[in-house]
Amino acid sequence: MDPDAVAKAFVEHYYRTFDSNRAGLVGLYQEGSMLTFEGDKFLGPAAIAGKLGSLPFQQCQHTVITVDCQPSGPQGGMLVFVSGSIRTGPEDHPLKFSQVFHLLPTGGSFFVQNDMFRLNYG
Amino acid sequence: MDGQGNAGGNGGGGSDCDAVARAFVEYYYHTFDTNRAALAALYGPTSMLSFEGHGVAGAEEIGRKLAQLPFEQCRHSICTVDCQPSPSFPGSILVFVSGNLQLSGEEHQLRFSQMFQLVPNEQGSFFVQNDIFRLNYG
Repeated sequence: MDPDAVAKAFVEHYYRTFDSNRAGLVGLYQEGSMLTFEGDKFLGPAAIAGKLGSLPFQQCQHTVITVDCQPSGPQGGMLVFVSGSIRTGPEDHPLKFSQVFHLLPTGGSFFVQNDMFRLNYG
Repeated sequence: MDGQGNAGGNGGGGSDCDAVARAFVEYYYHTFDTNRAALAALYGPTSMLSFEGHGVAGAEEIGRKLAQLPFEQCRHSICTVDCQPSPSFPGSILVFVSGNLQLSGEEHQLRFSQMFQLVPNEQGSFFVQNDIFRLNYG
């Protein structure tokens, strides 16, 4: 399977879920998964979903600009590096962001082992 | 770890990860800015670099790519450094950097983001297994 295609498919799924069914993201993380969100650290699906669910906006829309990926090692993992913008309301200016995912294979799919998110301020 | 599941500085060597990441980042960009040719020594035969979407593999190719970038001098200033332990190899860590890049002769700074996967080597240090660099255009 083409790694670039896998990365793009994951990224599409991740942000579509984030934007339409944020609670559904919990299924993409496992017990040892880690999220660093603007410098704050969270461990495990419950804490991660808690953080994402408590972000100060009801609705949002991510637009992906770039996706880069590389294999991460002998476990068949993939590092995915995304840049894009996020709009949190019709009146709001989109904010630029970058995000790192480290995906590990599980049962024919992937889960997010590492996740780091940063806004890119002008 | 508190009831929120905040890992803080303890889960899975979190605080060690922070110290290693900061030391590496400082060294990496200082070397980039003052002695770019020396960066090649941070990569190994299996290393991969994606630079603005262009991929190269192996220390030699990576060193060549970095040496051929279209600017003589530059200065990186780091805004944020995040890190997490990675299960890829024993002791490996992911480092996520954002900052500014000033090219000599250019009026405006460029914003960039970069991620590294560092893997311990036999000398008790780290080498860069994965490196992805992107400019963040306004």
